[in-house]
Amino acid sequence: MTENRPLKAAVVGAGRMGMVHGHLLSTYPATEVVGFVDTNTGLRDHLASQGLTAPIYPSVNALFGATAPDAVFICTPTHTHLPVVRECLAHRVHLFVEKPLATTRADAEAILRLATEAQVVHAAGYVYAHLPIVQAAHDLLQQGVLGEVLRFTAHAYVSEVFGPKRGWFFQREQAGGGVVANMASHLLFILGWFFGPIRKVVATTRSHATTVDDSAQALLTFASGVTGLLDTSWSMPGTQMLDYGLTIDGRRGTLVLCRDRIMLHLLAPAAGHDAGWSQIHASDLPADTAFDISPHIGGEAFYRQLHTFVEACRTGTLPFCSLEEACNTQRMIDAIYTSAAAGAPVDIQ
Amino acid sequence: MTELVLELRPPESQHYGSWKERLETVARYNDPDEVHALCEKAYSLGARAVLAVFDDTIREALAAFQRWRDMEVWAVLPNMFAFIRDLTDLGLVGAARARFLRLTPTQMARTAFRAMLDLGSIRRRDLAVGTMLVSEMELAALRGLRVTRLFLHPQVTEVALAGGAVAVFTALAAASERLGIDSGLVTHNPLRAATVLGPELRRFAAIIAPCNPKGYKMFPNREACERLFRSDPARFIAAEVTAGGTLDQEAGLAHTRTLGLAGAILDRRMVEIAFRIGTSTWAGRAVRGPGERPIFQGA
Repeated sequence: MTENRPLKAAVVGAGRMGMVHGHLLSTYPATEVVGFVDTNTGLRDHLASQGLTAPIYPSVNALFGATAPDAVFICTPTHTHLPVVRECLAHRVHLFVEKPLATTRADAEAILRLATEAQVVHAAGYVYAHLPIVQAAHDLLQQGVLGEVLRFTAHAYVSEVFGPKRGWFFQREQAGGGVVANMASHLLFILGWFFGPIRKVVATTRSHATTVDDSAQALLTFASGVTGLLDTSWSMPGTQMLDYGLTIDGRRGTLVLCRDRIMLHLLAPAAGHDAGWSQIHASDLPADTAFDISPHIGGEAFYRQLHTFVEACRTGTLPFCSLEEACNTQRMIDAIYTSAAAGAPVDIQ
Repeated sequence: MTELVLELRPPESQHYGSWKERLETVARYNDPDEVHALCEKAYSLGARAVLAVFDDTIREALAAFQRWRDMEVWAVLPNMFAFIRDLTDLGLVGAARARFLRLTPTQMARTAFRAMLDLGSIRRRDLAVGTMLVSEMELAALRGLRVTRLFLHPQVTEVALAGGAVAVFTALAAASERLGIDSGLVTHNPLRAATVLGPELRRFAAIIAPCNPKGYKMFPNREACERLFRSDPARFIAAEVTAGGTLDQEAGLAHTRTLGLAGAILDRRMVEIAFRIGTSTWAGRAVRGPGERPIFQGA
């Protein structure tokens, strides 16, 4: 990819997320979709009816036999990510992998190792981290507005599971877990991005409707010394979309991150913010978005996520949402499940 | 005269400032009487149409309300959150079957006949055909309601706009014309809609898109959106007029008036705030009760 040539991208997996990425790549001015890969090539007409007219190939090899993408977006079920990454990296191509990265920590680290050895740009699809309000919270922490960060509490709830469920998304071997791996991981990614590498986890999980975890509580300790509690469930009534929140306490104040605003309480003025309560709303921040593919879920974060990845490919630098950061998330997921199973704390090296 | 339109969506499908606010609001608006009361308040503020994504509560409340007040219903179909939930639980066939079973025998026969005509497209999972089939089943289940405009759910609209799938929109327009009602668009991407639809855009009586002085949710930017709005203001209705609740609602509505737009969306919060400030003054006039149109009087 050069400054003037669009990034040629292929989408592996033409399910729901594959189609979202296909549409984003079609609308983004500096990208071009050169193909889809799906074992069900009968999806061709379905894709075409949505305006996704790029060819569909039955395998990664067939894709690379026909065209030469600069980047691939891997949107297949989670348990296939490692073999798909391996196939793709035989061709040295930039990687975008949908979340969660893998079903196990070992697979996630193998994916990171392969991508690192191939010296390609890589990123993971933890889309909420790209919301302007989340990035603003990250910036405030980086500026040290709260002083030394001490603790946090976080929640991630959604109304999804109130009885037995079918499909790969609810099979541990294929999805890597339940609510922790597939919903709370968005928040775990943000926690890792904010606080750094995870060091210790004590957790409990419960399966009350499906065979995977339907709810979990985790006490997380980061290498930075920050400790906090995450509560998550996909069996909470009242929220068809992921509802998350994060309250962070520091020596100089408290930051409350909600979906569309930050409430900040400072003991003394810092970085241009007054002492006492103040608020930053998403509407005060630049969206830098040309197209909103999903107004109710994710919103402008999808476009910004793609922009971040494309810029990383253009400049050859790793973005903040790299697979390395996603591996930190995977370590948290893995440790939560290990701790819950063992009924004991888990130290992470 | 700018038109006010109350927006109703299942409370579970909205975002809130806190978990506490979510639970309180969801619990409250799962009662049809509360939805009915909200409609009455909106009516007294001047709203004469409701833009609704339906669940059983909203359908029941609006059916009762329309017996009492002359309030148009603008249906946003299908309810994509419910449909996606059913897709996960029941699969595509199961989700369609669940909607089919809500119909009367006559409606079932009509729907089955139409589906037979489109069998090839259904098998190919054609977006336009599938969307309209599900939408028309959901519309048929709204018996007893006087629906005057049809809109596609934004989750479908934005995907179709991204792909330039004009057939989805022409199918909507054609279905509406068949029913003798108007069609419209709800979108965060009005410029893309204008580009994709070109002259076909004129088939849609109302295009609902964010419009506020902060440019919040106005993609790609406020200037470009406002240029489009000014080119045909009577076709556009402003959403997000308070920029996520950060602007005084009167200022937001005044901005809409300045641009000459056809109307503005009132959300639940705006109605509640208007009444909290005491049915006292809003837009400089006393709100005295049902029947008045105080907010945009003289606009």
